[in-house]
Amino acid sequence: MTDLTPITALGGTSARVQKFGALTISENTELGLASLSLRSGQAAPSPFGLILPDIGRSSAIEGFAAFWTATGQWMIEADGQADRDFAKALKSEAPQCSVTEQTDGFVAFEIESIDGAGPINDVMAKLVNIDPLGFDEGSALRTGLEHMSVFLVRRSAGHIAVIGMRTLADSLWHALSTAAARQNT
Amino acid sequence: MSRLQGGHIDRNAPLNFSFNGQCYQGYQGDTLASALLANDVQLMGRSFKYHRPRGVFSAGSEEPNAMVELRSGARKEPNTRVTVTELFEGLEAQSQNHIGPLNRDLLAVNDLFAPFFAAGFYYKTFMWPRAFWEKLYEPVIRSAAGLGRLSMEADPDSYDRGFLHCDVLIIGGGAAGLAAALTAARAGAQVLLADEDFQFGGRLSSESHTLDGASASEWVGQTLAELDALPNVKLMTRTTVFGAYDHGVFGAVERVSDHLATPGEGVRQTLWRITAKRTVLAAGATERHIPFANNDRPGIMLAGAMRSYANRWAVSPTRSDADAVAIFANNDDGHLTALDLMAKGVNVLGVIDPREDAPRLGNYDLFAGGVVSGTKGRLGLKSIQITKNGQSQWHDCGALGVSGGWNPNIHLSSHHRGRPVWDESILAFVPGKDGPAGLIPAGAANGQGSTAAALAGGKAAAQEALGDLGLAIRDVVLPEAEDAEIAQAAFWHVPGKGRAWVDFQNDVTVKDIDLAHKENMRPVEHLKRWTTLGMATDQGKTANISALAVMAELTEKSIPETGTTMFRPPYTGVSLGVLGGGDTGSNFRPRRLTPTHHWAAGLGAEFVEVGPWMRAQYFPKDGESHWRETVDREVLAVRSGVGLCDVTTLGKVDVQGADAGEFLNRLYANMIATLPVGKVRYGLMLREDGHAYDDGTCARLAEDHYVVTTTTANAGPVYRNMEFAHQCLWPELDVQMISTTDAWAQVAVAGPNSRALLERIVDDLDLSNEAFPFMGCAELTICGGLRARLFRISFSGELAYELAVPARYGHALMQRLMDLGQDLGVTPYGTETLGVLRIEKGHAAGAELNGQTTPTMLGMDRMVSKKKDSIGAIMSRREGLSENTRRLIGLKPVDPDAPVVAGSHLFAKGAAQDTHSDQGWITSACFSPHLGCHIGLGYLENGDTRLGEIITAANPLEGQEMQLEVVSAHFVDPEGGRLRD
Repeated sequence: MTDLTPITALGGTSARVQKFGALTISENTELGLASLSLRSGQAAPSPFGLILPDIGRSSAIEGFAAFWTATGQWMIEADGQADRDFAKALKSEAPQCSVTEQTDGFVAFEIESIDGAGPINDVMAKLVNIDPLGFDEGSALRTGLEHMSVFLVRRSAGHIAVIGMRTLADSLWHALSTAAARQNT
Repeated sequence: MSRLQGGHIDRNAPLNFSFNGQCYQGYQGDTLASALLANDVQLMGRSFKYHRPRGVFSAGSEEPNAMVELRSGARKEPNTRVTVTELFEGLEAQSQNHIGPLNRDLLAVNDLFAPFFAAGFYYKTFMWPRAFWEKLYEPVIRSAAGLGRLSMEADPDSYDRGFLHCDVLIIGGGAAGLAAALTAARAGAQVLLADEDFQFGGRLSSESHTLDGASASEWVGQTLAELDALPNVKLMTRTTVFGAYDHGVFGAVERVSDHLATPGEGVRQTLWRITAKRTVLAAGATERHIPFANNDRPGIMLAGAMRSYANRWAVSPTRSDADAVAIFANNDDGHLTALDLMAKGVNVLGVIDPREDAPRLGNYDLFAGGVVSGTKGRLGLKSIQITKNGQSQWHDCGALGVSGGWNPNIHLSSHHRGRPVWDESILAFVPGKDGPAGLIPAGAANGQGSTAAALAGGKAAAQEALGDLGLAIRDVVLPEAEDAEIAQAAFWHVPGKGRAWVDFQNDVTVKDIDLAHKENMRPVEHLKRWTTLGMATDQGKTANISALAVMAELTEKSIPETGTTMFRPPYTGVSLGVLGGGDTGSNFRPRRLTPTHHWAAGLGAEFVEVGPWMRAQYFPKDGESHWRETVDREVLAVRSGVGLCDVTTLGKVDVQGADAGEFLNRLYANMIATLPVGKVRYGLMLREDGHAYDDGTCARLAEDHYVVTTTTANAGPVYRNMEFAHQCLWPELDVQMISTTDAWAQVAVAGPNSRALLERIVDDLDLSNEAFPFMGCAELTICGGLRARLFRISFSGELAYELAVPARYGHALMQRLMDLGQDLGVTPYGTETLGVLRIEKGHAAGAELNGQTTPTMLGMDRMVSKKKDSIGAIMSRREGLSENTRRLIGLKPVDPDAPVVAGSHLFAKGAAQDTHSDQGWITSACFSPHLGCHIGLGYLENGDTRLGEIITAANPLEGQEMQLEVVSAHFVDPEGGRLRD
């Protein structure tokens, strides 16, 4: 175990969490990420028992989730495995696939509502050019958000994850928190 | 006070406001225009060119005259239309465009010189003496130009933006819009209803018509209550849909808090991009006027506006109850104003109608076959001249309503080059069929002017939209409404000698159009630019059709033959603040922070923007007063000890697959597939045309696994091109790739002590030159088990490595290396030092790879392998490129104290300095602390054979010239021993 101490994408020693009325935005620092790509002619595997989802969709089981990112390519999420070599674990589940470590390539912000879908849909309208009504539970896509490229995953009606480039974490937080704060003014 | 009975104002909610320092009172529901009129203020401003006294002319966003500077201080907003300014408590407004008091404007003298300011005057004058242009004419014109003044203070308010999606967007919430909304909403469509007004109703709020025998406001209220209760409907007032864009996208501005004294914590305005499957354009119509001599006096306004003020705001247009009001109309609709005013107890002089057979719709005097041929009243209308059967007579009159018919608001249907169509039956242009896809015009915007026609048109448009969308249509029972046919005459202006204004805001008269005709500026686009007609902030909404009717008359062509000018967004003015989207300062655009950003900031580093990145530029120490002092120290520290630099910004692409080697062979000009596992190779990518595109290193981690690095600037484009190559050119190759730029914090550890420093953190890797030689790479662990990647590569020319760890550990790694390297002279360095080190070593960077560079110029032509094909390889061998004689060389000043200036062009000593004798240019330059003088890199014709020659570097634009010696580009360790040993 290394004696180096990591910092979060926002530069802190612990995850940033902030409430904005019905919404809470949390920096998910524990999320392990690795990409999985099929090699030529390969059938989709089921790493950790996950059924890899179709275009624009995500799937989840206890502790793991996956969302489609490109033809034959998925991002695999692992709760609480940010500090482990998750790519290695995934590779052992799908040894024939191309697997790439992505945990620190991204920052994940979880936006959760205590008032159902409404506040999530409203904040989405201020952030992304996606119809929130068509972006139901299990939807996932990549889109632009204030000139940044992000993945959106609708984990439930009242919960959306915004996964952006780690080096843009500060700018992404600014965008999300500004939009969330303005819902209450 | 000129308040009448009734109206849609809340008399229990008085509001105090001021105009030109004078305090007044209005009511909730008033606009500034209605409140000023209610306080008998007719004079509200001065005209643009002639400084003529002007008052309110309309009751909507088309207002050309009554503009003020609203608010004060940083929130001062010039050119604000009083007709769309909601009254709020404490509102402050100032009239604009005058010197001295509004009623005694010194610049009114311009009106005396009107003959000098005719159409196109500024194209014909200010020609001589030539020297006067910059010193006199331009300053005078600039100071006189414009209307209101900016505060020159920063905007204190916040602006927002967002995206909305709907099945049916309905633009305009009048009779047609409400009927459309009801029809679409009841069918279950996602409906968005937007109106620029602060309340829905459109003309229903301004008319005395009934619906189902009751006040129209009752039906409007019921309809809105139903719509508001439906979850599939979004109602947006104070929202102007200003433009139609590609793919069913509309731009809209919501004025969130313009109606408040300050926005407080909220936003001022929001820019919405609305994606609509279908759109109903129910934007209504704008009344046009009839130009006649001196038709611009305060008190003269559109007849429909006069009706709005009376019915909606309970305001009489006169300054005194004793003053009479006259109506000048070429159509039946204008007569309704007389009826409504009379019903409110206003003294009506009569209706002047040029039609001999004009109908008398009520008990008023009718001047059939008559025209208004002149007016009097310096600061407000006092009398009008009525001419009938050749006889003229003056009549006292405090206000005049003018109606020349109604123009459908076809603007949005005419975006995307949609061409409107002339409808002779209503003497107006209506939307053509070639407008924005999916846009369905309805109601008055489609020429359906009566209330019943508007309601039916809105319903039909919604049904058409629902049909297109495959949604079931449910019948909607519309209320009984008036359906009078409006007769009108094609009477466009009153001929005469006096000036008859067509475009009030830009002071364009019938005479100006006549002059444009005489000067052959006859096409409407020429007419517009020659006279500036329609080019003011109101975009000529009340003027354009009248103008082209006048031009059609002069050219003896029909109006449709004359045509309209091009319609473009925005429909009304949109503030730059809201277009900018709101973020300013450090949040103006997204910023990428390196994994060691906070560590560098803690050391007091100066940062520089490198594309979206913020990179540490240099790390000043106490006592260093100049950046050069810092950079010189950092450079020498690297060359004598060890330096640390965050190089995370270089692009990293993970490439895997059975055909990864073959894929990279086709991308890189040099051979990559033969690279052994555990090795790194420098790679050069070419563009399709054979020029150098990007360079970097390629490391092979396994037989089927490579890591490609790119320059910082090209990280995105190179990855994009790799995807293109795989998806479109060679989909048969078994290759998978993904960017990992952000995943790894990468630190350059450079200098003779770099190995010694790294040995203190690696867990179990032999770093000896034999075990881990130059261009080696390995996956390893450091600091007790942290996974890492190590590459022995050098940009500085020293013994050097690049160490990558998961990004979250970059900060701690840098701190650890600093802690452990104190005795080795460890020094952090930034991009400035990085640049000096690479120039001293003669390494090409962005300045050398500027898109004009060939492999030959870089001395890398032999790297372009002939054993395989790769992108750009064949094109790089074409004559024009392979025979380019410019070569990368180093340059030193003959005088060691002289500077070397990047960008200077190179000439043979003593040669003329022109494009024919130009032999190259200096790409990069710096001060080399190693050599104690400035040095540079550049491209010089046959430079590789001219070492030792003295040449001239010149910057003729600045008058600079220096003598330089041509030397090897490798100023430091040309044999490369340092980086290999």
